[in-house]
Amino acid sequence: MKPADPKLVLLAIALAGALGFVLPGHATTLLTEALILALFALSLDLLVGHARLTSFGHAGPWAFGAYIAAAQLLVLHIPLPLAVLVSGLATAVIAIPVGWLCVRTGGVTFAMLSLAFAQLGFAVVFKWNAVTGGSDGLAGLPRLGLPAGREVFLLFVCGVLAAAYLLAHGFVTSPLGRIVAAVRENEQRAEALGHDPRRIRLVVFVLSYFLAGVAGALYAGFAQFVSPELFFWTVSGHVLVMVVLGGAGTLVGPMLGALALFYAEHELSALTESWGLALGLLFMVVVIAAPAGLMGWLRAAMGARGR
Amino acid sequence: MNITRRPALAALLAAPALSGVSRAQGQPLKLGVPTAMTGTWAALGAQVVRSCRLWAKTVNAEGGLLGRPVEFLFEDTQGVPANCLRKAQEMVERDRVNILLGLMASSEALAVMPKLADWNALFISSVNGAGSITAEAWVPNAFRANTSGPMGARALALWLRNSPQTNFFSLSLDYAWGRSSVETFEGLLTGIGKRSIGSVFAPVGTRDYSSFITRIRQANPQALYIALTGDDGTAFLRQAAQYRLFERMPVVTETVDMLFTRPAGDAAIGLVGGSRYSFAYDHPANNAFVARFRAEYNELPDTYDGEQWQALEVLRAAVLKAGATDTQSVVAALRDLELNSIKGPLKIRGCDGQAEQQGFVVRVARREGFPVPAPEVIATFSAAEVTPACRASNFA
Amino acid sequence: MDPLALFTLQVLNALSLSALLFFIALGLTLIFGIMRVVNFAHGAVFMLGAYCGVAVQTATGSFAASLLAAPLAGAALGLAFERSALSRLYAREHSAFLLVTFGLALALTEAIRLIWGADARQTELPALLAGIVFVMDEPFPVYRLLLIGAGGLCWLLCWLGLQRTRLGLLLRAASQNPTMTAALGNDVGRVRAMVFALACALAALGGALAAPLLSASLGLGSNVIIDAFVIVMIGGMGSFIGTVAGSLLVGFAQTFGNFYVPELALGMTYALMITVLVLRPGGLFGRPE
Repeated sequence: MKPADPKLVLLAIALAGALGFVLPGHATTLLTEALILALFALSLDLLVGHARLTSFGHAGPWAFGAYIAAAQLLVLHIPLPLAVLVSGLATAVIAIPVGWLCVRTGGVTFAMLSLAFAQLGFAVVFKWNAVTGGSDGLAGLPRLGLPAGREVFLLFVCGVLAAAYLLAHGFVTSPLGRIVAAVRENEQRAEALGHDPRRIRLVVFVLSYFLAGVAGALYAGFAQFVSPELFFWTVSGHVLVMVVLGGAGTLVGPMLGALALFYAEHELSALTESWGLALGLLFMVVVIAAPAGLMGWLRAAMGARGR
Repeated sequence: MNITRRPALAALLAAPALSGVSRAQGQPLKLGVPTAMTGTWAALGAQVVRSCRLWAKTVNAEGGLLGRPVEFLFEDTQGVPANCLRKAQEMVERDRVNILLGLMASSEALAVMPKLADWNALFISSVNGAGSITAEAWVPNAFRANTSGPMGARALALWLRNSPQTNFFSLSLDYAWGRSSVETFEGLLTGIGKRSIGSVFAPVGTRDYSSFITRIRQANPQALYIALTGDDGTAFLRQAAQYRLFERMPVVTETVDMLFTRPAGDAAIGLVGGSRYSFAYDHPANNAFVARFRAEYNELPDTYDGEQWQALEVLRAAVLKAGATDTQSVVAALRDLELNSIKGPLKIRGCDGQAEQQGFVVRVARREGFPVPAPEVIATFSAAEVTPACRASNFA
Repeated sequence: MDPLALFTLQVLNALSLSALLFFIALGLTLIFGIMRVVNFAHGAVFMLGAYCGVAVQTATGSFAASLLAAPLAGAALGLAFERSALSRLYAREHSAFLLVTFGLALALTEAIRLIWGADARQTELPALLAGIVFVMDEPFPVYRLLLIGAGGLCWLLCWLGLQRTRLGLLLRAASQNPTMTAALGNDVGRVRAMVFALACALAALGGALAAPLLSASLGLGSNVIIDAFVIVMIGGMGSFIGTVAGSLLVGFAQTFGNFYVPELALGMTYALMITVLVLRPGGLFGRPE
């Protein structure tokens, strides 16, 4: 699927940032969290949608980025904008050996390997009490290096999201990105043309983990708290659902999917204790009725109006 | 009924109410309870919620608090700190809640506490046992009405002074509460002239305790200390009973909850432990509460039912003393507040917000008139004996 | 304790755990292998089996009845789900299964809470099964011996079924080459429905068997699902012998690991899976994709 027009996407993100000055406080806070999750979903789309590598362990880089950011904020007093970048880079570094082991495989094996690494991360962080705060996590992280105010923080998140989207979009449309697509479509042919599929996939893996680490670091700055639950497979499942729901491979779809799932869950859980039942049924209906996810719906709607 | 669920999307963009100005009388007093209503902790959350509902019904029938009806906002966090933060934030900022109660996991409480100052809100813990809440992690707007983990272990240790067993082995789960509970207990053992011969921690999520039972058997202690609750407690008791472990050694625990002893059936008979709350305390206030609870729910109140009720009674006393419901007034009223609760005389310490209260030790036994084995009180200790020093979570 | 007695006891412990894990993993590998479906809801079906088992035993007083009712409930649910939802998705990308089974897991978990409430549910074992035997002077529960026996019996029946029956032949063929099997005129749709129902029945039976040890509680589903996936991956998706091997490997690793190095136990299963998958991406007995 061709990605949507980047100018529109950037405009939408800028509008979201501007909303912070208009919405009531709590709504701004919710929107900030939703956009951080959108970035998280965007990072996974590079793996799932673009390279067709389904990962069940994307909570791994997210949580790793969050904890690295926590360490920088709490111990080294590094301002958040820099901490976010450093966390992303640290996550990218660790993605190299992890990715190298994972991309040798594909399909379900890849999915389970990535899960195993994320669960390992959970185990390490959970038990390493002295350093990570163990099962209670680390609270009271200071939001250093940014002017106070949630509107400013929302703008910061929007800025990072916009940059990440440009990076992802640029990658996907670049020659390297096209080779990734080629490897995805026909690995043997790509190999015959002289490309090393494993190395290509590793590049996507590292980029995807970089962005996920950035998202996790943003979350640490947002919640001012990290705990081992950030590594858990339920988080990986959630973000994967966001990507599939939104429409894998479109970059924009997963971001929309993240917003949709976040708000749906939030509102449903306030309406009824049985939100799990409602949400589960909703998933089943959506996946059957909308094969290409939300983006598919949107495109059908726009196409029907003769864009 | 006076329990609200937030109205849906329409409210998302509702204009914020005027801040700080107190409304006219009759305006409901909203209390925020972001707790685990679904997920692994759902059973504990259900106790918290039903206790709140009964309390609201009772208080409102008596004219409310300062003439205002009380209203609870319940939200489901599943025991996950990220969800708790989100829900609590929304309650505080959108629904103008300034009093939070019933947070389930200690990690949730620890995530929320640093935010209380910014939110100008206060939190009264009712089920969180972690020592750090009134020690390293303490913040001025946080209070704890319940018995903490160390207090439960302390009451148990005091009772064990007179028991014939001298060496103990400990089993718990490998996370914050489990580790600190065993650490506290082992420290207390030394203080009463007994010793620990070892401990083992099962990884979180363990369902099959067979290797741990074998390990305990091998260590062959005179008594076993366990710090397990919920499904873990039930699973261990049932499995250990199947191995006839309790024929070899008595087992003691930090907190006895009917939540895990009831499903264990006969396997729980003989279990002795600290008790954060039990229907079996024979006080007029407690007996009245138990009667009211049974009339409403046709069940005996368990640990978290009672602890939540106590926290709410603490809140009521503070609000009445302050004559106001804004955070600073209530916080000031809570400091050094004294009242009589369902657990007897209570004093909320000014320096760390911990409620100084009696400690109880119970034993699970087959009792006349009870269909399943139930706890009975076998020892009571004064507040001075069981409450740790200010901002400390262990006993010197 | 006598070292030999200790070792024997631990072996028996490991075998009983492996047997329990086998029931869950077997269903999962069937679904993986035949249908290439990642079934996120498998843990929830296991949980349903536990609740159904306890409910039936409470109502009828018969443990045997619970062992019949639970798999029937599982099969019914599996069949209904496969026909109404899953069957519409075979032509689609695998990510669709992910979403739909995730949805089932969520919905089923909440449905269980609505029906049976938040408190754990349990019953007592019949006197015959509640006793102990002495293994080198150490007590060992009879019920765990039953579990080992049940696991072994299941293994035997499945192996015979796969090798000696026409359905078994179909299953083996379909797991190796579904397109060809369909082309040869077999109704793959019917086979899929039966397989999914059978897999759910096995999971539910596992739950009913586990209930006397663990009691039926809301956390049951999410706890076992990961172990089940790990076993299937280690053994090899779609490989029957692989599932047996995987269950034994994980059962023994957890039992002996918990005894000797409980500190490392949390990460051990995952480290094991990583090692196996890196060395043999298809699992011990499977084929890489």
